[in-house]
Amino acid sequence: MNSTSEKSDYLLLFRGTDWHHGRSPEEIQKTMTEWMAWFNRLIAEGRCKGGQSLEPEGKFVSGKLRNVTDGPYAEAKEAVAGYFLLSVDDIEEALEIAKECPTLGFGTIAEVRPLMARCRASVLAAAEPAGAHA
Amino acid sequence: MDAPASTTSGHAASGVPQLAEHLFRQEAGKLVSVLTGIFGADRLQMAEDVVQESLVRAMQTWPYQGIPRNPAAWLMQTAKHLALDLVRREKRFHEKQPEITALVEESADGGGDTVVFEGEIQDDRLRLMFTCCHPLIPPDSQAALALKTLCGFGTAEITAAFLTTEAAIAKRLTRARQRIQEQRVPFEIPAGPELTSRLDGVRQVLLLLFNEGYKASSGENLVREELCVEAIRLTALLAEHPAGNQPATHALLALMLLNAARLPARVDSDGNILRLKDQDRSLWNREMIARGIMHLGQSATGEEITEYHLHAGIAACHDTATDDASTDWRQILSLYDRLAAIDDSPVVALNRAVAVANVHGPARGREAIEAIPGRSELASYYLLYAVLGEFEVRLGNDLVAASHFHRAVQLAELKSEQAFLARRLRGCEDRLKCQPGPGQSRLDAL
Repeated sequence: MNSTSEKSDYLLLFRGTDWHHGRSPEEIQKTMTEWMAWFNRLIAEGRCKGGQSLEPEGKFVSGKLRNVTDGPYAEAKEAVAGYFLLSVDDIEEALEIAKECPTLGFGTIAEVRPLMARCRASVLAAAEPAGAHA
Repeated sequence: MDAPASTTSGHAASGVPQLAEHLFRQEAGKLVSVLTGIFGADRLQMAEDVVQESLVRAMQTWPYQGIPRNPAAWLMQTAKHLALDLVRREKRFHEKQPEITALVEESADGGGDTVVFEGEIQDDRLRLMFTCCHPLIPPDSQAALALKTLCGFGTAEITAAFLTTEAAIAKRLTRARQRIQEQRVPFEIPAGPELTSRLDGVRQVLLLLFNEGYKASSGENLVREELCVEAIRLTALLAEHPAGNQPATHALLALMLLNAARLPARVDSDGNILRLKDQDRSLWNREMIARGIMHLGQSATGEEITEYHLHAGIAACHDTATDDASTDWRQILSLYDRLAAIDDSPVVALNRAVAVANVHGPARGREAIEAIPGRSELASYYLLYAVLGEFEVRLGNDLVAASHFHRAVQLAELKSEQAFLARRLRGCEDRLKCQPGPGQSRLDAL
């Protein structure tokens, strides 16, 4: 995934889905405009590879029997609302970006998670010619 | 959510896309009207919730997919889909499903006849206007509800506009919604003889909205000026619609436009209030004045002369004067005379006294104030003392003027007005200091 070797990938998760509670259309428009400007700038700077919002509801699969259920859902203040995929120098830079999130004042929690780098052994293993055992 | 797919070219290339100012607020007002038509007036809150959800959906997708080519249509389509989802989930709405399914599909065809579409929205907005302004709802709740539902204002914004507390506004809104449910207030444009009386009620609420914004939109509180804009928008909607297209509606619209046109000149660059005669008339909004004069013309078709006609006529006299000296005060006085004949409020009489003073001199103006029958009602009204103070200044009685301005400062509620009156007071005091004598010690005792 890493095109330039010195950059690292981080997932920026936005938690909390009720940031708009009690806010007026005017305020929502203002927040959206800020969010759009923020995302567009990160894309233009090459520091963000993409991002999206999540639908509020989905399905759960669990257990040996592969049960499909509708829950349990996380609480609104903890539910993941969306993500950005960041490509930056280090976690400090990722955190600086997270601090710019326009809805932090309205209950959003920004979570920064480094994507695990591929270790040298697995890179080498992948490069091994296939079919040696065939 | 399968909304219209046509979006602008994308985030990276288009720079930072811009939305029209107040788009969400204005569209929210339209959407609530349309959805109330689907859910019924007793589920106004449900309509508002769906609209909120549509705006949130925009917030969740537009930053990544770009702003749709027609944001308003996107929001309408999204709101209708959300409404359809809700209708499918709730048993009590089942009979509505074919109706709303048709509605969603019809507008998904690419708009079809957009003129009809816009016309339907206008009908719904007018229906909601009549619902909000229903006589069974307390008047202060009517105005708050109209702002919330028709104009897309938030509770905090309404609070700022009415200079009150959020709790008070929340209470007014709750009371309004309760009344609508309990009394089964209909979502319809009244017809026949009822229309006339109901229109009076609607116009009164619109004027109340305008006045709330106008009386203090002096830069310290921007949302109040927006209140004037919203009142004008709704009144124009009413005037354009066959049900509301009456002389009195055009007169009301003219009144609003002709007064709002002067708002840009009401304060100087430091935020100080300027009197009419001190205003830079080049800042007056010529387009609004032209629109106002046009509607004043359209208002002159009936037989009835309402207070709106007279107030609009007075504003037109000010707006069309090239400078203060050429103001036609005789015409203004004659309009106030006619206004006083149909409106015995002491505030009208006070304004008439100003016109008297400008035609016949400040002494006659003072007499006119002394002759106001309900003068005691004005006892704690700061403008009474502000006007008396101006008269006394012009009569050369700075000492008496100072005492009036002093009282006016104490009674004024708005900081900008207090500051203006304090400046007038200081002017009197400065002139008195230049002529030392018995006046000096009496002034200190004020």
